[in-house]
Amino acid sequence: MSFEEEVDEIEANTLLGGAPFFSRPGGKIFIIWLVFTVIGVLIGFYAPHHLLPVMQSPEGGDVWATIVFFTVLAAPVAALVYAIAFYSLFAWRHRSEDPDVPPPDAEPQRGNGPVTVVWLAVSTVLVVVLLFWGIAVWSAQQVSHPNALQVNVTGQQWLWTYSYPGTGVETRTLDLPVNRPVQFNVTSVDVTHGFWPAVLGVQVDANPDVVTVIRTTPNKLGKFIVQCSQLCGLYHAFMNNTGDVVTSQQFDTWLQSNGATPTAAATAAGTSSSGSTTAMGK
Amino acid sequence: MRPLGILLTFVVALVAIGGVAAFFISQSYTSPNYPNGVQVAQPLGTAVVNGQSVPHVALQFQTYPDSTGSVAGKQVHPSGNPAWPAYGLSNQYQVPAHSLVTVTIRQYDSGGSLNNPWFAKVSGTVGGVATFTSPDGKTVTTNHVDPDNIGHTFTMRSAPGVDSAFFLNVPLPTNANLPNNQTNPDAGQYYTVKFSFLSGAKGVYAWNCEFPCGQMVASFGGVMGAYGFMSGFVHVV
Repeated sequence: MSFEEEVDEIEANTLLGGAPFFSRPGGKIFIIWLVFTVIGVLIGFYAPHHLLPVMQSPEGGDVWATIVFFTVLAAPVAALVYAIAFYSLFAWRHRSEDPDVPPPDAEPQRGNGPVTVVWLAVSTVLVVVLLFWGIAVWSAQQVSHPNALQVNVTGQQWLWTYSYPGTGVETRTLDLPVNRPVQFNVTSVDVTHGFWPAVLGVQVDANPDVVTVIRTTPNKLGKFIVQCSQLCGLYHAFMNNTGDVVTSQQFDTWLQSNGATPTAAATAAGTSSSGSTTAMGK
Repeated sequence: MRPLGILLTFVVALVAIGGVAAFFISQSYTSPNYPNGVQVAQPLGTAVVNGQSVPHVALQFQTYPDSTGSVAGKQVHPSGNPAWPAYGLSNQYQVPAHSLVTVTIRQYDSGGSLNNPWFAKVSGTVGGVATFTSPDGKTVTTNHVDPDNIGHTFTMRSAPGVDSAFFLNVPLPTNANLPNNQTNPDAGQYYTVKFSFLSGAKGVYAWNCEFPCGQMVASFGGVMGAYGFMSGFVHVV
């Protein structure tokens, strides 16, 4: 079959041609798209359970939901690209007696108004939805809590250190009480680092001479890892340490074991006899 | 002709991929090609720590203000720069796992203030202290030194996933009176810092200096951004 005959055949069997829908290229691409979309959606729902750590805060839950939502939303778009590419690769592959002779270029197609409108409209809707979703998740992290535990986070090449104002405690491990809002005041003493306790669902740059605030509320007990998310020099790969979400009583004990007075530890941990928690300024 | 072309394409692709892989492997921090070799800790017998008998080994190394100097005919660093200090002679140390390691560092360099005074505290040593002997022979055992008179620090942590609980930090005080002696870096006065620590699990541990003894941004550029001068690895085997 010559190239011209191939083109004629394709044009005779387009989406608007006379053959039954699922016999036409458009119908076949639709079926492939449907299969790929289902696979993509399933991956979007189930892969995070195997690829992501167990989140230890509501903000982490938001991150989880965002990844799932964005993946599911992207699945049909990606599936359309893959379906067309997949079908083209097999059905519209150029066949010739002489493989060294390339096919002539096809005529460029222009001026397909409906396709352009649909494409732009769908893209716009998707981007706007993602924008509002992102703003909503980000806004939730900006809410200040009056009894939040203040933690000053300092990044330097190549270690994180944490201080708990009012207690005199400064450590390289990040212990936090469970179910207590935490406000991280993040800065750097040298270059830009990235403070990233991934399971807490927060990540922010640590910039020199600037204090950036980010908030979370740990709600699950257990250890976690804090990593640097900005390429910061020679030992960037080693710039990680551990954290631990513990009960208020354990947090109180931990503060005292690191040098806090019983009163300061009880105030910071919210375990003082009055039972109230106190906001501690920087 | 066509099969030959296909074969050639695969060969070229394999060579390219293999070349890139070989390059990355040669750049790995586990590469054995260290300019001054690996300094293996010397066995001292056994020691009892926390009621348990463990192997006891010793390490000794120095901090020099001028990395171009030579000690016993060996350059402190093959790519030395007079303005760049260096640990030496090797920046690679090997110690056995779960052992008591006694380290003696001769600190020849001057210094100043830390970017973060937290590194003036001794962390991770046996007893949480180190013993500091000044050039005039005064000895003190303490858990912290003046953060504004630091020459360097020896700060060590494990590679991710090896032993996250392990951390060691020992500040090395300023040696204020020392002129640079390039022809014989070991001839001058020095501060002696001695401490012991329990090595962790087997694996690679990184060490570096946390005193801003480099150039440019926060004095952590230059020598601090160049591997092998104020940084290296401890191989726990």
